[in-house]
Amino acid sequence: MAHIDPVLHVWGWEVPVYLFLGGLVAGVLFFSALFYLRGKADEMKTSTSFLPLFAPVLLGLGLFALFLDLEYKTHVLRFYTAFKIESPMSWGSWTLAAVFPLSSVWAVIQADRLYPQHIDKVKILRKFTEIAKKFARPTAYLVIIFSVLLGMYTGILLSAFNARPLWNTAILGPLFLVSGLSTGVALSLSISKSDREKKVLSRIDLSAIGIEVFLIIHLFMGLLASTQVHIDAAQLFLGGEFTAIFWILVFGIGLLLPGALEFLEIRGKRIPAKIPAFMVIFGGLMLRIVFVEAGQVSTWIPY
Amino acid sequence: MKANSEKYWSPYLAGFLLGLVLLATFVFMGRGLGASGAMMRSMTYAIDSVAPEHVDESPFYSKYVGGDTNPLNDWLVFEVIGVIAGGLLSGALAGRLKFKTDKGPRISKRGRLSFAFLGGSLMGFGAMLARGCTSGQALSGGATLALGSWAFMFAMFGGAYGIAYFMRKQWI
Repeated sequence: MAHIDPVLHVWGWEVPVYLFLGGLVAGVLFFSALFYLRGKADEMKTSTSFLPLFAPVLLGLGLFALFLDLEYKTHVLRFYTAFKIESPMSWGSWTLAAVFPLSSVWAVIQADRLYPQHIDKVKILRKFTEIAKKFARPTAYLVIIFSVLLGMYTGILLSAFNARPLWNTAILGPLFLVSGLSTGVALSLSISKSDREKKVLSRIDLSAIGIEVFLIIHLFMGLLASTQVHIDAAQLFLGGEFTAIFWILVFGIGLLLPGALEFLEIRGKRIPAKIPAFMVIFGGLMLRIVFVEAGQVSTWIPY
Repeated sequence: MKANSEKYWSPYLAGFLLGLVLLATFVFMGRGLGASGAMMRSMTYAIDSVAPEHVDESPFYSKYVGGDTNPLNDWLVFEVIGVIAGGLLSGALAGRLKFKTDKGPRISKRGRLSFAFLGGSLMGFGAMLARGCTSGQALSGGATLALGSWAFMFAMFGGAYGIAYFMRKQWI
């Protein structure tokens, strides 16, 4: 594939994997805090208490992928020596700096609900947990706010990059947020053993899929109604080199097919929840891979 | 739900509809159906991703790649993706969708999967020697009354009947 601007550092697998894991963690944290605040923690055990235990680990893996992409690895600390209000990267760095400890505190609070005996083994951890539990509700509100910021940020990181017409659309933020929420729900769906929980998650995921389809249609309508370079960017998916991969892997396997299966499941057909869940997770990863790759190909100047 | 678990289409109706699908592919795509070609192209793509030099040097693989040619950019690949999606939806509609290994009572899961892998490998090798598989040769070629395809079909059925006796314990 011919990338334009040969001097520009090309983003490989690291950035899409980071965006994917960031969105996934946002989804996991958002629904965990939401179910907790709505008093559904016992009913929705996997999503509320079990999955958040892995949120800091998944986020750490995502950040490690991002770190691997850095040309000058030691410069990572420079993000934290300044806050630039007009820089999305600065916003993102500080959001991550807040989400990481927040998700760890949230994981400890939830771990105490599932495995209090393990927390008892470490005295200082028990002490910390008791303090954290006193602030469980405010923490949950913060988790919701920061998970939405994190999910949005994974899209805004790209859309703020005006030099690439495909990314230069305000829809990427909400699209990546909804996709992240959807993959988080799908991950819960794939491991939950409770039929009641799976039913609720299926409904949420189906709604998220519907919103994503709506946003994708609007994304293309917006690009096609814009300038010629934006139309050319949209054409990458409407007959251009990313047409097959996007409409089959992202739209077909990642959205329509799992949406149809979840719809049938809600209508009473017996469908293993893992099948649509894995498809949604796969589709979420492919969405980011395709958008990062195609965005780098889209250009203002025809070379 | 239990009644649904045994719900399959009549093979005669399915065969008739498959014939119409085959006709439609000739009309719309200018080519018939196939399956092994998609597998071969996927393999070529995978090998080209890890060992591009090997692919360039191989007279077999190099036919499908080179320059900007993507081996996956072929009708059969898209058709097989559609077959998998269609099968999944059909199973879901009939309430038959679940993770299981179809096998006889006397064979372990591992044994069944090993035989399936062995059989699949032989089938892939045979399909490349014969320049097509059950769908590409027997179905698509047979529909055009190609002599080689009919020879393939008889050889395939003959071979299957001959081998079935020795493999019967897998299923009974």
